Amino acid sequence: MPVVRMQTDIAISAAIGCGLATVWYGASSLLLSGSAASFVPAAGAIAIAGILPPPLAARRSEKKAEHIRLSMTQRLRALNQHASINIVDRANRLTEVNDQLLALTGYSREELIGQNVKVLYDKSHRKIADDVRGFLERGQTWQGETQLRRKDGSILITQSTIMPLFDERGNWSGSISARTDVTRTNELMAERNTAQTLNELRDDIWIVDSETEKFSYMNRAAKARFAIKDHEYRVRDLGEFGKEHEIESVLQACRALRKDGEATTQFEASLMGVPMYVSIKFLPGAKETGRYLILFNDISAHLEQDKLKSAFISTVSHELRSPLTSIKGAMGLLLSGSAGELPDKALALLEIAHRNADRLVLIINDILDLDKISNGQMDFDIQNVDLVDLLREADQANAMLQQRFGVDVALEGADTPVPFRSDPHRLLQVLTNLLSNAYKFSPPGGRILLTLEDFEDSVRISVKDQGQGIPSAEQSKIFDRFADMTNSDRAAKGGTGLGLSICKAIIESLGGTIGFETTEGVGTTFYFNLPKLPVLDAVDDMVHKRSA
Amino acid sequence: MIKILHVEDDADIREIAEMALSLSGEFDVVQCESGEAALARIEGYTPDVVLLDMMMPGMTGCQTLERMRERPEFAEVPAIFMTARAQHAEIEELLQIGAADVISKPFDPMGLGDQIKQAMQKARVSQMA
Repeated sequence: MPVVRMQTDIAISAAIGCGLATVWYGASSLLLSGSAASFVPAAGAIAIAGILPPPLAARRSEKKAEHIRLSMTQRLRALNQHASINIVDRANRLTEVNDQLLALTGYSREELIGQNVKVLYDKSHRKIADDVRGFLERGQTWQGETQLRRKDGSILITQSTIMPLFDERGNWSGSISARTDVTRTNELMAERNTAQTLNELRDDIWIVDSETEKFSYMNRAAKARFAIKDHEYRVRDLGEFGKEHEIESVLQACRALRKDGEATTQFEASLMGVPMYVSIKFLPGAKETGRYLILFNDISAHLEQDKLKSAFISTVSHELRSPLTSIKGAMGLLLSGSAGELPDKALALLEIAHRNADRLVLIINDILDLDKISNGQMDFDIQNVDLVDLLREADQANAMLQQRFGVDVALEGADTPVPFRSDPHRLLQVLTNLLSNAYKFSPPGGRILLTLEDFEDSVRISVKDQGQGIPSAEQSKIFDRFADMTNSDRAAKGGTGLGLSICKAIIESLGGTIGFETTEGVGTTFYFNLPKLPVLDAVDDMVHKRSA
Repeated sequence: MIKILHVEDDADIREIAEMALSLSGEFDVVQCESGEAALARIEGYTPDVVLLDMMMPGMTGCQTLERMRERPEFAEVPAIFMTARAQHAEIEELLQIGAADVISKPFDPMGLGDQIKQAMQKARVSQMA
């Protein structure tokens, strides 16, 4: 335990002038001894304070000394009330802690005394304790922010001043730390910064109390939209405000969020005629309370861009069809011999050109489909359909491809009609895609199994080939757009790289699931499951259209 | 001979269609490059079937058909649309307004004649019903 000697009020005042910790340093013995009577001069202390004491008069009057002690005691009390203080020895062991520190950290004195001071630090800040030690060993004072951890594990931010202590010979003997809790201050600063940032945002932000459903915050953009001044929003509640501005969906979404115990929800809505993407987050507070953070992102520009993009894609795609009609038509007539017999080599070349013109048509169709899927505009025409008929139709529609690739298709589970309710046009599109993939990747003479399984609540249709299987590296991205174009061999087989992603979108839009099982070197089975919808009588059959 | 009025703004497509339809010797094709030209041509001429391109400068295929239908002799002439915008919903719309069939572009020239005959047959059946 260091012995601190201090003999002059000048020294004390100088020390006080250098900060609370400096005062504490000079006065620490008071705490340690419980009395101010044992003060003796301490050149080291003063030197640390950066002020050299003037020569002291050898004989001070008792009255003067008593005054100093009194003054010192009062200041120490003030300091003790204000700051959390601890002293450590050379080995960084805590030798003294004040009540403030105990109250702040939740430890008892017995739990701390003798422990390394690092016990107070949060793990992320323990290195600071080592850095501080370097300062102290050089006789320097360290000041800065330290992150402590309370006994209950919570984080505590303190502004600390840590000073070295010296014994009567001037040797470094430990340190003394005075800490002020700035956790709340930091939080307030952060909140203020956050509020400033929120105000700068172009998105509208509302914060609403979950209990009272009254507004507790609106940023500048939101206030401007509703011509709300200052804090006028605080008297408004979300229900009445939503009704007034025809955005009741926000309150409904907030209530649903709490009811379902979800943290976030997003949806599109119109706010004062502006299309918005609304994100709501429930921020839990104490007990059952909390706040809704509601963010409105104006998506009108985004929607406009999407519309332009779609119009562009549609125009380009359709414009490409006209010249393709002439190209394919002319080649079709030549291939048919309408313009006279062609030499074999010319015919072979013409077939290549014709095949690739076909492929170009497929790509254009796929691009149009994908654009519709992206915009949620794909039409579905739900009707009664016999799945067995549909499977046979898919098989027949692809007969030419079967012939070209020299494969054979067998139907399984297609003996009796399976009435179903779905969009036959889209299902045929999926089946054609899966079958053409199976042909392309089957060895010549390979056998493809087209299977229909009729379960109680669903059906499963699968297409099994005897191809090389899908390499494991490609499996995870097989339903991605242009996934199979990474493989030049596959591209050469005539795929557009879009087919499987379209199949997935169609099946999922119809409420089903799609997947595959594959073994390298053995083959692949693509399958899709669809839930059964009630099959209506033909008289009641209605065309239901819905968006994907 | 089946009399066809083919309205199409693309000269190449007109030529291919004419060549394809002439192969069987079953069709007599009159061609027009626009809806306006078609309306002028039908003075005193009533085809058995009209083959209409959808997207044309000036009058569209739909507008042309609408004007043709104003003439009593055209009330029951089957109309087949040819369109590059042959998405499912668009085909449905064209069938709704009375198209006998919709042929997607690019079309198979060798199958065009059969497709036209089938559409005419379908139109006859639905007229009888």
